[in-house]
Amino acid sequence: MALNRKIAYIDLSTGQIETKPIPVEMRKKFLGGRGLDMYLMYNHIKPGIDALSPDNVVFVSAGILGATLASASSRTHIGGKSTLTGFVGSANMGGFFAPELRWAGFDHLVLKGKAERPVYIWIHNGEVEIRDAGNIWGQTVHDTQQIIREELGDRDIKVLTIGPAGEKLVRFANVMTGLKDAGGRSGMGALLGSKNLKAIAVRGTMDIKIEHPAEALEYNKKIITQVTSAKVSQTQGKLGTPFIWGATNSQGLIRVRNFQLNQLENADEVEPEALEELAVGMAGCFGCQVHCRSKYIIPEGPYAGVYDEGPEYTSQGAFAGEPGCRNANTVLVGNHLVNIYGLDNLETGSMIAWAMELYEKGILTSKDTDGLDLRFGNDDALIEMVHRIAKRQGLGDILAEGPLRAADKIGKDSIKYLVHVKGMSNLHSDERATPALALGIATGSRGADHLRSRPAIDLYHLPESVLRSIYSQPVPYDGPLSSDYRDYEGKPWQVVWQEHTYEAVDCLGICKYHTIFLGATLPNYEEWSRLLYLNAGLEMTPLDIWTAAERAYNIERLFNIREGLTREHDWLVDRYFDEPTRLGIPGVRGRTIDREKFKKMVDEYYEHHGWDEQGVPRPETLQRLGIDNEPSHML
Amino acid sequence: MNDETTTESLAKGRTYGVFRCLNCFERVSAPTGSKEMTCPHCGFAWRIAWVAPDFPRIRGPVWDVNRQLAEKSDAEEAKKGKK
Repeated sequence: MALNRKIAYIDLSTGQIETKPIPVEMRKKFLGGRGLDMYLMYNHIKPGIDALSPDNVVFVSAGILGATLASASSRTHIGGKSTLTGFVGSANMGGFFAPELRWAGFDHLVLKGKAERPVYIWIHNGEVEIRDAGNIWGQTVHDTQQIIREELGDRDIKVLTIGPAGEKLVRFANVMTGLKDAGGRSGMGALLGSKNLKAIAVRGTMDIKIEHPAEALEYNKKIITQVTSAKVSQTQGKLGTPFIWGATNSQGLIRVRNFQLNQLENADEVEPEALEELAVGMAGCFGCQVHCRSKYIIPEGPYAGVYDEGPEYTSQGAFAGEPGCRNANTVLVGNHLVNIYGLDNLETGSMIAWAMELYEKGILTSKDTDGLDLRFGNDDALIEMVHRIAKRQGLGDILAEGPLRAADKIGKDSIKYLVHVKGMSNLHSDERATPALALGIATGSRGADHLRSRPAIDLYHLPESVLRSIYSQPVPYDGPLSSDYRDYEGKPWQVVWQEHTYEAVDCLGICKYHTIFLGATLPNYEEWSRLLYLNAGLEMTPLDIWTAAERAYNIERLFNIREGLTREHDWLVDRYFDEPTRLGIPGVRGRTIDREKFKKMVDEYYEHHGWDEQGVPRPETLQRLGIDNEPSHML
Repeated sequence: MNDETTTESLAKGRTYGVFRCLNCFERVSAPTGSKEMTCPHCGFAWRIAWVAPDFPRIRGPVWDVNRQLAEKSDAEEAKKGKK
């Protein structure tokens, strides 16, 4: 059955390996993927540890629907205490790793301790081995995968790996699978590096029994039609996620030159259609029909002829909007470099853009940059800084520490120009005209980002009736909702709803692009309930799924509070409140976030969650969710 | 379980062949294959791309036109004391 996959506990210090089944009761409580990882994390990581010490623990998992007949059931989750923020570390990536992990017999890996020398883990059909990685330490993300496949003699092996950035403990290093499937945003690559763990290779041929195969197949056909007939899916299948950057830049909802502007004017060369002209095709992850991943060959310069995949929306932000560059080749090169080094593109671009603003303001000088002219719009300096961060050279060594530590080292007024939440740089969007999106990044459990809470459909001016049909299920909601993205009213509920919804998606292990993220008509709770039953034999109502997600989200909150999170961390930097937007359509010009209204939004957000005015889950909330006695050490 | 789900019901309301103006959010119909379009409701001008022959989308602003319109709007708002 689909639920018989196990947890493997691997101690890298001692070499001890233990496997355990996952009780169905735990499945019903946390499903799998991110949800169960968060439970394990709260139970296995001791409070207050140094995130780069052997005491930290890594959790790798597939979702409960991984590798089933649910479309796009491809997602791999990785968790641990964040090396960047010290709060929840959590990242999610597409590709083919998680299905292979399930075929190899496992749903969750718990990795403890620290290996004496570089190692990788080899998992195949129920067996787990720790192997020497001396020959791959120092290799790029792409080369590592190839070397492991050759060493083990199987080209179908799937590899999750870190690149040189993770080995150098860059605090925003990614773990990667494939060429560009990136687990970013909280420094999980540095966590693997700190354990001398270069990679995890998996190969499996153990069937996953689908509970109701004929019906599951038929139902998935219906889901595929629902997904592929959506305009957003067709657009993504042609342009990839850069289409989002194009639409939001057209309005003035993009972060440019760190946070000084909100639109990259005359950006024709880095618009999605311009990038599409350079693509040589599109690719998809396991079980996906959307195929949003561009394949490209770098057209010119020192990297001409190199093949890679992407760029995503975030690489447009990192290598165009944020540094104020307008060159498609630069976007492709930057994207390639973060892929091979295993760097978070978003954090890399943000850190460099911040340094550029400091340079132009005289806080950093050419002495600090070793002669590099780090002005906005300097493509060569931008690319050079990516190398320096990955290799921890000069200023790159400071930026590799992430926003708050770097600001501490640089001193002066540098912190004033940081754009971060909880010590993680903000997404490349500008939320000063969109209070709902601003609240989402302020309160996100892993720091500022868009994949945990963003009510993206808030940007579509959907009629209130449509919003109500979405946001009043599976729990009733009769409060205000507004079609205007500039409004404050009703938005906190949308953020809470999306938080639980994305948590649910990450527990199921399916791609957000097949769910209600960018498209209002894509599957959500009702469809997931059916998918769970047909594929895994688990009878859970839409409300049950919501509650499991809410439970996991509260565990994340408990983890963060245990690590020192307070209400002050659910807040934005002053620039959001004090510096008005200057460009874009009339509706977004001259906008700031109103402090008092935003404070009320946070209050309302807490209230919807059942948390007190300090953001701490109330005892009755934990009791209702059955997590009032955590950590319970059930697994 | 054969009942129509909420999202299936919402999908029936999808519109094809038109796009929303990114300034006023009214639905706009563009002549097939056109590369630029001025919104008949608000006057903002957009460059158009085609995802499919019957599926237009906004590629980006006609930069100088929209900037002038936005600055004019700024000036009017400033006169009214709103910004």
